[in-house]
Amino acid sequence: MKHFTEEEMIAHYYSEGFSKAEAERHLQACPQCAQAYADLSKLLGSMPASDLPLRDSEYGAQVWQSIQRSLQPYEPKQKRRFYWPRFAYAAACLLFLAGAFRAGRMWEQAHSKPLVAGAEQQTKQRVVLFVLDSHLDRSERLLVQLNHAGGEADDVDFRLQAEAQQLLSDNQLYRQSAAQANDPLLNAALDHLERVLVEVANSGSELTSRDIASIQKEMNTPGLLFQIRVLRARVSEPKTNAHAIPKGANT
Amino acid sequence: MGNDDYMLIRSVLAGEKDAYGLLVARHSQSVFRVAFRITENEADADEVVQEAFLRGYRKLQDFDARSNFGTWIYRIAMNCALDVLNKQKSQTAVPIAQDYDSELPTVQLADRAAGPDRLLLSQEIETRRHAAMGKLTPTERVAFVMRHMEDHSTEEIAGALGIAPNSAKQAVFRAVQKLRQSLAPLWVRS
Repeated sequence: MKHFTEEEMIAHYYSEGFSKAEAERHLQACPQCAQAYADLSKLLGSMPASDLPLRDSEYGAQVWQSIQRSLQPYEPKQKRRFYWPRFAYAAACLLFLAGAFRAGRMWEQAHSKPLVAGAEQQTKQRVVLFVLDSHLDRSERLLVQLNHAGGEADDVDFRLQAEAQQLLSDNQLYRQSAAQANDPLLNAALDHLERVLVEVANSGSELTSRDIASIQKEMNTPGLLFQIRVLRARVSEPKTNAHAIPKGANT
Repeated sequence: MGNDDYMLIRSVLAGEKDAYGLLVARHSQSVFRVAFRITENEADADEVVQEAFLRGYRKLQDFDARSNFGTWIYRIAMNCALDVLNKQKSQTAVPIAQDYDSELPTVQLADRAAGPDRLLLSQEIETRRHAAMGKLTPTERVAFVMRHMEDHSTEEIAGALGIAPNSAKQAVFRAVQKLRQSLAPLWVRS
């Protein structure tokens, strides 16, 4: 019978290393190891933590009093550093707003004719717009959640990632369709959305509020959210019009 | 708690120095506990607490938001306590006469395992236990304190000491061996 080494006995005492049941069986079967283990247990059992001197509830305040004078306050550099980028960001948003408005007008003009096309084409378009609107709606909700999740809270709702994964495969199809349909605005927005979805979906289980804040900053998710809302408004309008029977259309 | 700590850290980094006072108040007891366990000296432990919070303040910009401030400052306190022990080791030469060996008369205490008195160590045993702890290297001492008194796992000890888990396990093993050599003569088998 192979006896326990001292190291194995110490590991067993601290419940580490190997099977507790196996060790117990051996100790029952081997008087020599049982005696050595009893001696070790007795020794370690006689080594209680020494009594802690009492420190009252004011102890923390006393420690703080003793060190605070030697501490220099941190300078809030971030505020100054972020002044110009914020200004630039606001300007970019205004520029984008103007561009989106103009693009919307152009798109409206370009797509006004198909609305008076035949009933079959209208039905098909209604389905396409409905599905696209649903996709944009889900994307919008995800981006809103994402923008809120990047705040102070440590807890990140990991359903975001699952949702991003689902949206990603749909988005790839819509983006390809938008590219084929020669719709640069929609294509660009879906392309931007796809990059964000890839980032969120592939962040693994370690996605934190800090990661989300980084995604928000680097990928301009607030800007994307705005784009999606503009697109939704654009998609919803023809969809509403498509429901109405155009004047003069044959039923 | 952890989230509150992080909010306080953000406030400190934004220039509100006093927010650190709340962190100190919140964690000073646990920092003192580990400092005293390692140094076994009240004055040294108080010094370690102050030094740990000073170092913590200076390194606060490096604090990882995903970490727990309590664990982080605990590690800093351990390193401060290690520094105190290392300093003492280098300054103090242990007189040979005070070191325990087999030639010293041993105190033979009857094993009273069944009685409640066993729980109370005599002054002599406490003195020898203290001396035996003093014979451990700083790493062995910290590893033993964390394992035996603070009930941390080998992985946690390894993380705190910045060593491999196997090295942490070996440090605990060596500490127990040394304590056994020093204290075994105190026990007489019943």
